[in-house]
Amino acid sequence: MAVNPHSEPAKMEQIITEFFAKSLHIILESRCPYVSSRNYSGDQIMHSPSSSASSSSSMRPRDKWFNLTLRDCPAALENIDFWRQSNLEPMVVDVVLVQRSHNWDYGSTSPRLALERNLSSKERFPFVWKSDSDEFGCDGNSEKIIERWVVQYESKKGCKEVCSGSKRSSSNSSHALYKKSILLLRSLYVTVRLLPAYKIFREINSSGQIRTFSLIHRVSSSVEPLLRRDEAEMQQFMFAPVDTSCGKLCISLSYLPSISDATSESSTPMSPQFIPDYVGSPLADPLKRLPSVPMPQYSPSSSPFGRRHSWSYDTSIASPPSALPSPSPTYSESRTSYSKFGSHRPPTSSRYPLETAQVHTKDTGYDEYLPSPNFSPSPSPSPPMYLPGSNMLKVLLRSDSAPVYIPTSRLGDAPVSSSKTGLPFSPPLRATRPSLSLVERSSSILQSATTAGKLLSLREEDIARPSGVKISGPFVVDDDDMMDPGSRPGSSDRSGNLGTPHERIGPSTPRKSQDAAVGALVQMLKKAPPLRQDLSRSQNVCKPSRPESSCNQIQDPAVVEVGSSSMASSRVKTTSDALEELKAYMDVKQLLLRQSGKS
Amino acid sequence: MNGEVCQLKELDVEYFEIREVLRCILHTIFFHRALGLVRPKDIDLELFEITYHTHHCRLALRKIAENSYMYVQCGDAELEKKVDEKIDQFIDKVEKHPNKKNQICLSFFEVKNKQQTWFTNKVEHLYWEHWYINLNVAQHPKAHSGKSHHSKLVVDPGESASEERNARRATLESSLHEVLFQIIKFVNEKKDHIPPIPSMEGVSFPYEIIISSSSDSAFGMDMFKRMLQTGHPTMLS
Repeated sequence: MAVNPHSEPAKMEQIITEFFAKSLHIILESRCPYVSSRNYSGDQIMHSPSSSASSSSSMRPRDKWFNLTLRDCPAALENIDFWRQSNLEPMVVDVVLVQRSHNWDYGSTSPRLALERNLSSKERFPFVWKSDSDEFGCDGNSEKIIERWVVQYESKKGCKEVCSGSKRSSSNSSHALYKKSILLLRSLYVTVRLLPAYKIFREINSSGQIRTFSLIHRVSSSVEPLLRRDEAEMQQFMFAPVDTSCGKLCISLSYLPSISDATSESSTPMSPQFIPDYVGSPLADPLKRLPSVPMPQYSPSSSPFGRRHSWSYDTSIASPPSALPSPSPTYSESRTSYSKFGSHRPPTSSRYPLETAQVHTKDTGYDEYLPSPNFSPSPSPSPPMYLPGSNMLKVLLRSDSAPVYIPTSRLGDAPVSSSKTGLPFSPPLRATRPSLSLVERSSSILQSATTAGKLLSLREEDIARPSGVKISGPFVVDDDDMMDPGSRPGSSDRSGNLGTPHERIGPSTPRKSQDAAVGALVQMLKKAPPLRQDLSRSQNVCKPSRPESSCNQIQDPAVVEVGSSSMASSRVKTTSDALEELKAYMDVKQLLLRQSGKS
Repeated sequence: MNGEVCQLKELDVEYFEIREVLRCILHTIFFHRALGLVRPKDIDLELFEITYHTHHCRLALRKIAENSYMYVQCGDAELEKKVDEKIDQFIDKVEKHPNKKNQICLSFFEVKNKQQTWFTNKVEHLYWEHWYINLNVAQHPKAHSGKSHHSKLVVDPGESASEERNARRATLESSLHEVLFQIIKFVNEKKDHIPPIPSMEGVSFPYEIIISSSSDSAFGMDMFKRMLQTGHPTMLS
């Protein structure tokens, strides 16, 4: 029986057929990533062409169906033809998220389109359509159905009798069907863009992005049961069916409500994320770290030393006093740079022996010892310039654990005036010197040092022979001073102490004989607590230091400081250590003699 | 009142979000009611990008697709213009009457033949559908013009503020999602009340947008006017 194409049943049949096509078009348009080979551009695709509906002349007839003009979707167009066969079979569209395997070739980004048509009547339509590329081949790729669309027309029994009814009712029927189909497809169009898969679709289509996932779709006419776990994860959504006289058009949806974890991990960021309020690295602002590093951190094996280091003074002092001798700026400069970049770490150069950290006083009074808060509490040791034999100097010169600066180059000159403040630093040996200014300390220490330097023009034999002469005055180190520097009086006392040696060493103090100095030194050596092994190591390290005047001047104070501190803190000193120290002193003596001979 | 009524879920928005939220909702409704030939236009909701632009401290360049929300327009320029005008009016009203619950009512009606009644000479509008969009605009200092959707509002760059903002944005996105699905469900479930399509161009049905607020004295008046226009059901033959 020939079917009148203008008859109502034919119209309805056509509406239903086009409904399938349109729904597939809507779904695939928003789920099928664009293939680059098809000259699609992101902008072209993401935005519709002219919004004006007047450009209908460029539209194909199919575009006007249901008053909804869509963008070209080759996948849909290619698939639609297959569905013109029968409207009685459901159309199942599976949207599959494919995770690429590790051996995925990043050179190719076009997804694979697979069309499988598994009909019960496979004999009639026994084909499987695949696209050209196999980038998303099954090898190693994981697939997950994230959406399943089922479009079907459920015909009613006895439909033919109804459709052959009155013409008026039939026209109303087709008209109503068409209008309701329009509404349903409008809803479908909006819904596909609200689902999570749409975001993935847009991500894939975004330009310049290589992703490890993609979307493929499968269109079939049989509903393959989903895995139980997949089905449990999915949510259902069913559009209101469009009732017709002969049946009803239905669109149902099963979708994964959340698929962000699959894409967020595998996708590379499109653009870098800027963190403008990045706090910063130590390199960016290294000075920040200085105050926060505690002393104990520096010398874990020893008792915590609270003494700050001389170069911390230098870092905080913009310019040294003009009276500072020439060597000092060099030293301060070097130490400044050192302290700036991690002074919390022990110095590693030969000029900055590690052991010097251990000669410091306890950290209990360290903060108090700081003359001013500007001084960065560098945990690094005091100027770790260690000169062999300088410990002797420290011993001799130590009155109140004051650092001694021995400008050896000046020993041959006239006695250094007390006004000279040759010390570029004044590492506090005591814990109780919070307020003494650097200049003040330098001057006082320098005076002590110069005097000590004079005293130390020793002969070798003098060193070896304990004269037994006691040196009174500032160079006599009290046991109390050595043992418990923390009990030192406050700043005022400190300055007073410094002043005391000054007074003692003043012009009124006659120059002690070298023999007496040696004897005193020996006495101190006997009384002194044993040096630690690391300190002795430092001595060995510093031995090969260059006998330059600047070096000596820089090193001596450090040595003095180290020695005195060592005596203050260390209690065990072996004979070998003492002998080594004595040898160092002898070297110093030779040095001094040489220099005095030159000048 | 005749016609199907859909009360959309109330949304909590801020000043700078009003425009985009209203555009999204209104155009979604219109897309379902512009049953003439349309070429849909996908519009990225720039709402959530605004927060990034004003987030000058924690600015993160993100993919549009990842964060954007989008809605569909009919592609009718005239409709877009009318919608924007109404949104401007709404924003002005909100600014004048802050801290009020504001409502936009989109109504579709049929133009009936002029009926001579004793209280009106107007052409009768037979409303067959009302959409109530309820917005709760948060109290916020007016730091920008409401007409510009790319707000220059300087946001406190504090960390807690940004987290709060992100949470609020996520809540709004979720609520907006619910509202859109509410529209879809309503459109799907109720189709029989839609009258024949008078026009195949643009929005097929005549409509009107009324802005009202809970404390607006004219709110009730608008309702009364509508009742008069539509007429009491018992008055219609």
